[in-house]
Amino acid sequence: MESIRGRLTIWYATALILSIAVFAVVLYFARRSATYQDLDRRIQSEADLTAGILVESYRARGALVEKDTAGRPVLTSEVAAVLEVVPDYLLVTSRDGRLLFGSPDARSLGFAQFEQLNALVRGGATSTPGRYRLTPNGPTLHYVIRPAGEAGGQIGAVFAGADTRSAELQIEQLLLTIVIAFFVGVVPAILVGGWIAGRALEPVDRIITEVREITDGRSLHRRLVVPLERDELSRLAETLNQMMTRLERSFAALRRFTADASHELKTPLTVVRAGVERAITRPETPQETLAPLEETLQEVNRMTELLDSLLTLARADEGRAELHREPVDLRDIIAEAGETGELLAEQAGVGIEIRMPPEPVVVSVDRSRMRQLALNLIENAVKYTPRGGQVSVELAGSDGRAVFSVADTGIGIAPGDLPHVFDRFWRADSARTRTSERAGTGLGLAISKWIAEAHGGTIDVQSRPGRGTTFTVGLPRV
Amino acid sequence: MKILVVEDDKTVGEYVRRGLDEAGYHVDLVGDGDEGLRRASGRGAGYDMMVLDLRLPKLSGIDVLRTLRDRGVGVPVLVLTAQDSVDFKVQALRMGADDYVTKPFAFEELLARVEALGRRPKAIAPPTLKVNGLVLDTGSREVTRDGKRIELTPKEYAVLEYLMRHQGRVMSRTLITEYAWDYHFDPGTNIVDVVITRLRKKIDHAKEPKLIHTVRGVGYVVRA
Repeated sequence: MESIRGRLTIWYATALILSIAVFAVVLYFARRSATYQDLDRRIQSEADLTAGILVESYRARGALVEKDTAGRPVLTSEVAAVLEVVPDYLLVTSRDGRLLFGSPDARSLGFAQFEQLNALVRGGATSTPGRYRLTPNGPTLHYVIRPAGEAGGQIGAVFAGADTRSAELQIEQLLLTIVIAFFVGVVPAILVGGWIAGRALEPVDRIITEVREITDGRSLHRRLVVPLERDELSRLAETLNQMMTRLERSFAALRRFTADASHELKTPLTVVRAGVERAITRPETPQETLAPLEETLQEVNRMTELLDSLLTLARADEGRAELHREPVDLRDIIAEAGETGELLAEQAGVGIEIRMPPEPVVVSVDRSRMRQLALNLIENAVKYTPRGGQVSVELAGSDGRAVFSVADTGIGIAPGDLPHVFDRFWRADSARTRTSERAGTGLGLAISKWIAEAHGGTIDVQSRPGRGTTFTVGLPRV
Repeated sequence: MKILVVEDDKTVGEYVRRGLDEAGYHVDLVGDGDEGLRRASGRGAGYDMMVLDLRLPKLSGIDVLRTLRDRGVGVPVLVLTAQDSVDFKVQALRMGADDYVTKPFAFEELLARVEALGRRPKAIAPPTLKVNGLVLDTGSREVTRDGKRIELTPKEYAVLEYLMRHQGRVMSRTLITEYAWDYHFDPGTNIVDVVITRLRKKIDHAKEPKLIHTVRGVGYVVRA
């Protein structure tokens, strides 16, 4: 889960489900055991009642047993009539185990099941209630067997048993209720929980949105609305506001510095340049002073370029990236940079190949920035390719993208250095460049990256040491 | 054609004044905004153009520009600025500037802007440059030597044009690079040498007299 809201909801739901489950399990087993206890008490009292009736009858009349028409011993009809009203399964046996009485429920059993009851009774008295399932397909019984010796020795045992069906039904009913209550209760509770978490965190979401809008670089004067309630959120908003005040101040300082640096550094450069250029172009200047003047001019230009690059990056950092966009056929730009590349390559003894599609590749770009980007990459490729190597420049326009790549067979970049090539002032190990050349400002690739990204594009580098490097620029098409 | 240059730095001001003077303009130079405004809006001032630095003592360039436009003075204004950000340039243009040049600038660039603003490039830049039998037509960009056409790439053409425009004068490699590559391109190598080698093959090969000459350690000159 990616949000605190989601996590809170999950934790809350888990805790809720666990506690309800524990409650349900306890309730279920407690009810179940109570239901069976009720059942057992009932059969116990039935057995006691029956035994009591038999003892009372014996004391009143003496004889409890008579012979039926088939000559089998049975309880006398008066006693039997009294016992008829006792519900459930009731059996009374003689001391020698013969059946004297069966209640209506018992009599309604099939022969096989009835015999199983008889077998249970002959098994003797039980101290605790037993459980037995009559087969086949008979009811499951809880039963007690009670000796009834007080009745003049005529009675062996009293068996009382009850079908567990009604108890089971009650328990099933309870289970069903629990399950229904669970879903009816828990699902809405989770939904409500999620909603509450969302509501509680909603101000945080709002702060996130506001901060994002403010920190795009142009709206730093804005501040968050501090909630009236003095809680964590209002303290968070206040802290963020303080941070933004400091950010705004430092950005303003940077902006001032950028503007001041422009003037304070460029004005003397202009003065130096003006003097040197005048001297260099004056016909009467002696030739031997021309060389140092030319060197000075070159140095002035390097400083100017470095200054321009620094100011460009400073502004880019501030989010004030300025582009003068217009529809441009990239082929024109590549062709122009390509010609310069050919001149550089010729001097460096490097082959160069430029491939472009026959149809125009129109993109909306800042022409001079794009020219700078193309020239940077081509110049770099030639610079880091040894004599005899090859540089390939390729432009391709697919549906939504224009792709411009510069590949060389040069010295390549070590894998450890690759992530840093677009860093400011990063430079490959200086030993690798041709020693006759001066290194650049170290800002070329940083600027190139800014140019590509400011146009909504990408710049990537692939390299293998000793095999070569490929820079690829992708630009969205209009 | 009269041009008023308002620039507080004496070296830069003098450099612009002399350069424009040499290019055939009549130039007045003043050192602060008040004076610049007074001279530009004065009766019978009759300036055809104004070159205005934006950071001036007393009255800033932007204020001079705004006041001038408020007074209905429509003289074309070329702004000199050290700020090269787009929004700043846009602001200057909105204030009524006609064009701008970013400091530090090559004089060639300033001259080109002045020519474009003055709408009279023909007198200063003759359409056809000639050195001996070598002819360069700046309109059609055609180059011939002794009547035979020579095919040049854009950079070769730019370098040759620059040298022929200043024929007889030594042009340094840096100046040539600036002109042909329109921004501060520093290839860290003498790319101009390569272009010159190619130009020599096309122009001077098996021909007399040689027209392109090397000035060791400095640059090149075109002369008969």
